[in-house]
Amino acid sequence: MARIRILFESGEPEQIVEFNPADAPFQHDGQPGSILDVLLGHRIHLEHACGGNCACTTCHVIVKQGHDKLSEASEQEEDLLDRAPGLTPTSRLGCQAVVEDAGAEIVILVPRYTINQVSESRGE
Amino acid sequence: MFISISIPLADETRVRPYTIASSPEDGDLFEIVFNRVPGGAGVAWLFERKAGDEINFTGPFGAFTLERAPERELVFIAEGTAIAPIRPMLRRVFEQKPGHPVRLLYAADRVEHLLFRGEIEGHAIAHPQFQFETIIADGGQEALYARIMAEVERRWVVTDNDRMRHFYVCGIGAGVLRIRDLLRGAGYERRAVRYEQW
Ligand SMILES: Cc1cc2nc3c(=O)[nH]c(=O)nc-3n(C[C@H](O)[C@H](O)[C@H](O)COP(=O)(O)OP(=O)(O)OC[C@H]3O[C@@H](n4cnc5c(N)ncnc54)[C@H](O)[C@@H]3O)c2cc1C
Ligand code: FES
Repeated sequence: MARIRILFESGEPEQIVEFNPADAPFQHDGQPGSILDVLLGHRIHLEHACGGNCACTTCHVIVKQGHDKLSEASEQEEDLLDRAPGLTPTSRLGCQAVVEDAGAEIVILVPRYTINQVSESRGE
Repeated sequence: MFISISIPLADETRVRPYTIASSPEDGDLFEIVFNRVPGGAGVAWLFERKAGDEINFTGPFGAFTLERAPERELVFIAEGTAIAPIRPMLRRVFEQKPGHPVRLLYAADRVEHLLFRGEIEGHAIAHPQFQFETIIADGGQEALYARIMAEVERRWVVTDNDRMRHFYVCGIGAGVLRIRDLLRGAGYERRAVRYEQW
């Protein structure tokens, strides 16, 4: 089983998901087996304003552990990350970073500003 | 820029982006255009909405924007509904009275599917530095992109060695990435080739 531990900069309690990468996709948005796919498929919320199409940066996560257990970033992901606020060397787009290793232990941090950016402009 | 619409289907809530096709100067009301995609349950829901219905959305979001016209020749390439983000860009560019040529290559499977045509032709009349060209190719996405690729290659890759142009490309599917690769591979700067893939 692979494991993702999710830390939230907003202070929400951390979450852990265990899953088998071979069972992907877990729902239909983002790359099958991506962090977004795994989280949404296990009812953990991660913003994905463009529907997981690699066209925004709202699914930005900072990988604290297991960066090398994720698929390599495509040119399209790199182009977008260039524009992500608060970019770090281990930043990834959750909808594009696929967990490939069945025994992967991944730790990610969901940055706060990503959440703020959304809730501040919530048009409801 | 796009808004992110929350689409309540029977068994799930889907998040889908739709581009703001109007300009900020148009005021609080904004326009989106959408295409009925075969088998697309999300957009089918949108088509069922009536005037006065409420829709939940967040935004705007997106990285595919043009704030200032570059001091260079500017080339827009779009297909079908993916003209939506280019429309406000064109307006902005012409407001800034560009000193360099501006071109739009706009493709669709049928003439009726070229959106905002009157408005775009209006730009061409008002601004002599603007050149508007269309491609009609039915026969599916592959055929459409094969035509676009051929036109792009002929005009901006093999004809000259000018690699200072800036490109904005928007379309549906992997063809967009092939156009990106063609242009960057030909020597255009990474940052001068901007694109959005739907
Ligand atoms: C940044 C961004 C902006 C977008 N803006 C618009 C917009 O302004 N207007 C709009 O109609 N759609 C737009 N889209 C596409 C839209 O978000 C949905 O993907 C589309 O409505 C289908 O969603 P669905 O849930 O019904 O179908 P899904 O089952 O999710 O089907 C998606 C499939 O439809 C294809 N597709 C997506 N959009 C189109 C289209 N316009 N024409 C033909 N095929 C398409 C996709 O490539 C994909 O294969 C945008 C997508 C992105 C990433
Ligand atoms: S959800 Fe938009 S880039 Fe990942």
